[in-house]
Amino acid sequence: MAAPEQTREAQEERAVGCYVYGILPGDVEVSPDARGLRDGGVDLVRHGRIAALVSEIRVGTPIGRPEDLTAHQRLLDDAAVEVPVLPLRFGAVLTSREAVEEELLAANHDRFLAALDEMEGRVEYVLKGRYEERAVLREIMAEVPEAGRLREEIRDRPEELTRDARIRLGETINQAISAKREADTQRAVEALSGHAVATVLREPTHREDAVQAAFLVETAQRQRFEKAVEELAQEWQGRVGLRRLGPMAPYDFVVTPRPGG
Amino acid sequence: MGRPSGGGLADVIDTILDKGLVIDAYVRVSLVGIEVLTIDARIVVASVETYLQFAEAANRLDLTQTEEQGIPGLMKDIQEGGAKHKTRGAIEGVGEKLREFAGVDDAERAVRRRHRQGEE
Repeated sequence: MAAPEQTREAQEERAVGCYVYGILPGDVEVSPDARGLRDGGVDLVRHGRIAALVSEIRVGTPIGRPEDLTAHQRLLDDAAVEVPVLPLRFGAVLTSREAVEEELLAANHDRFLAALDEMEGRVEYVLKGRYEERAVLREIMAEVPEAGRLREEIRDRPEELTRDARIRLGETINQAISAKREADTQRAVEALSGHAVATVLREPTHREDAVQAAFLVETAQRQRFEKAVEELAQEWQGRVGLRRLGPMAPYDFVVTPRPGG
Repeated sequence: MGRPSGGGLADVIDTILDKGLVIDAYVRVSLVGIEVLTIDARIVVASVETYLQFAEAANRLDLTQTEEQGIPGLMKDIQEGGAKHKTRGAIEGVGEKLREFAGVDDAERAVRRRHRQGEE
C-alpha cells in the first residue's frame, strides 16, 4: 500500500492541465496533424469571437527542453503567417479547458479581440546584427586614439604586468562599441522602419551586438522589407553579421496590461 | 538539412521566455505552477572580465594588414564567388527553416482560417 503522501504526489503527477500557446480569432481551424509540446495534439478552446490554442499537458512534467521551446514557437509562428495571433510567453498552464474559456477568454474577450484586429495581416520580423570582431576593433583602433595608445602599451606583454592598462583598453573598446551600436541601430531603423508599421528595439544580449530590433510588417510589405534587409546586409558585409528571423508571431508587439491598470 | 543550430535555440529563448503576453496578468485562480527547466533570456553586463577579453582581442589584432587584405577568410569566399550566396544564407528566416524542418508547406499549415460557407 502506498503511503497517503505518495498517493497525493502520484495524483498530482497524473493530473492533466491545459497548456496555452496563444490567442487566435474564433473563425480558425487547427490541422489534425498539428503538433505541440511533447509531440502532443493541438486543439482550440473557443469563446465568442476568439479562441485559445491549447494542448493537454501532464502537470507533473517539467517543460523547457529545447524541443519544448521550439514546439511552442514553431506552432505560433506557423499560425501567424495565416491568421492574427497573440502569442503567450512560454509556460502558461491552466487547470482545465473550462478555466481557459471562463477565466482567460470570457474575462478578456473584448481586449483580445481588439488586439487581434490590430494584428490582422501583420507579422513580426526580428533583425539581429553582430559585429565581426576584428573588423570593429580595427575601426575602433583607427578612430579612438586612446585605444590605439593603450593597445601599444599592452602589446605582447604578459597579462599580469598590464592588467590596469588592459582594463582601461577594454573599457574604452566597450564604450566605443556602445556608441557604434547606437549609431548602427539608428541606421537599421532608418533603412527598415519605412516598410514596417511599428518598430521595437530589443536590449543587446551579447557584448558585440550591433543591433537587435523587432518590426511589425504588413503582409503586402513583406517582400519589400526582406529586400531592404538584404540591402542592409550587403552594406554591412564584412563588418556586421546580419540575421533576419521571421516571419513570426508578434511577440514584441503584444502588450500585457500592468496589474490594476 | 540539419536541425536549427544552437544559435537558433538562443533566438527562441530570447523571444518566447522574454516576450509575449504574460498569463498571470489575465488569470489568477486557475493558474497551474509548472516547473520550467530553462534559463532566462540573457542580458549584457559590462564587467572586468568583458574588458579583459576585449583587450586580449585587441592585442591579437594584426593592424599591419590593409583593409583590402583585412579578413582573409571572408575575402576568399568573395573571390570564390560565394559572397552573394553567403549573405542570402546568413539572413534566411529562422521561421522558414523551422517550418522546412517540420516539413510543413503552405498547403498544410497548423492553423488556418475556416472556409466560409459555400466556399468548399
